[in-house]
Amino acid sequence: MSEVTDQHGAALRTTRELAQAISSVERGGPAADALIQTALTRLASERSQNAVVIGVTGAPGAGKSTLVGALAERARAAGRRVAILAVDPSSVQSGGALLGDRVRVEERPGDEGRFVRSIATRGSGRSLSHTAAAASLLVEAAGFDLVFIETVGAGQADLGIVRLADLVLLVEGPEGGDEVQAMKAGLLESAHLVVVNKSDRPGADRAVERLRSGLALGHDAPEVLLASAVDGSGVAELLTALEGLAVTRSGGGLQRRIAAHLAAAVEARAALRLRDAESDGRLAALAQSIATGERPLSGAVDELLKG
Amino acid sequence: MAERTAPIRVLIAKPGLDGHDRGAKVLARGLRDEGFEVIYTGIRRTTEAIIAAAIEEDVDVVGCSILSGAHATLLPKVVAGLRDAGAADVLVVAGGIIPEEDRAGLQAAGIAAIFGPGSTIAEIATYLRAHVRSN
Repeated sequence: MSEVTDQHGAALRTTRELAQAISSVERGGPAADALIQTALTRLASERSQNAVVIGVTGAPGAGKSTLVGALAERARAAGRRVAILAVDPSSVQSGGALLGDRVRVEERPGDEGRFVRSIATRGSGRSLSHTAAAASLLVEAAGFDLVFIETVGAGQADLGIVRLADLVLLVEGPEGGDEVQAMKAGLLESAHLVVVNKSDRPGADRAVERLRSGLALGHDAPEVLLASAVDGSGVAELLTALEGLAVTRSGGGLQRRIAAHLAAAVEARAALRLRDAESDGRLAALAQSIATGERPLSGAVDELLKG
Repeated sequence: MAERTAPIRVLIAKPGLDGHDRGAKVLARGLRDEGFEVIYTGIRRTTEAIIAAAIEEDVDVVGCSILSGAHATLLPKVVAGLRDAGAADVLVVAGGIIPEEDRAGLQAAGIAAIFGPGSTIAEIATYLRAHVRSN
């Protein structure tokens, strides 16, 4: 693994160091900022090694994890260094999370060219954790050249991934995707490629037709492919299509990802400050000042954001 | 700004050949509800795969559920593997059917705690909060 060292002596030379660096950015704070800075410096100095980052999303049960596992196996066999970042929601009640995507991915102990990490959203309040953006930059700086970011299957609301990835792959099950759904604004129109998974099950061909006819009414309709992660059919074609799209869309990818990471970091930090304002009573005091006519609503917002 | 502590990360693993994962799943769900981040890896994992997953996930705890009777062989391998990977600070605990006479040997091999069939989720959660490295 290529070497990245920051002023604190932390490095991304080994899997353990990379894994600990991701934990550090999950916790936030000065050590995390330093690690990100180091990764950015590293990436700026070796532009030729830029990774392709593919966002994968779709409804729960569409088979995202299994399909990503199959794509990763094939890409690794072709010599790519592959990382999978699997994002799942944290429980709003307990703050805990059950992260089960590894169940569907083959473990390959001893292979330093593969890295799988489960990431909980940790109350970021959005389906895609800002940590995922930072983790993606870290794995890229550690020398992985194909990164899958698999998101919570929140469907149409899950748009954050568009900002973080070079390409968005939408995974549909054989029963999903009626024409009206295909026309609805949302994730479908942000997808660069759509795959109907579980082609081994009945109905998959019809799902492809429904999606194609719905999408055909729009501009720049993404291609709709058919695959089965279980029997492996269509997986090679899907990977080829993804890599082809990555080539045609390359240029500015890294800069865009860095900008997306920084925007997400600022947003996350601001959200923490808002939470502080809630817990220390400033929010309640501002609300009271609006109620008494001391401030207009917009004045209270300005006051809050200033603090 | 208030101090924020990250959730404790726990890998729940089923080493060896038995496929009975109900207990492991109940524990995974229960610890999630106690505020832990639980990574569940599925059944029939090799010790090498468990160690690699624990390193990649940077967990604080590896919990091995084992009902097959192979605990005396497999559990010390997990501890040794983590140590060799530079992760000796990861707490290794076990659950399942483990005879009383094997416990001393496992604890000597570095298994921090053994939770038998009567253990409650709350009891396990309390133990983990008290014994995990602080960061």
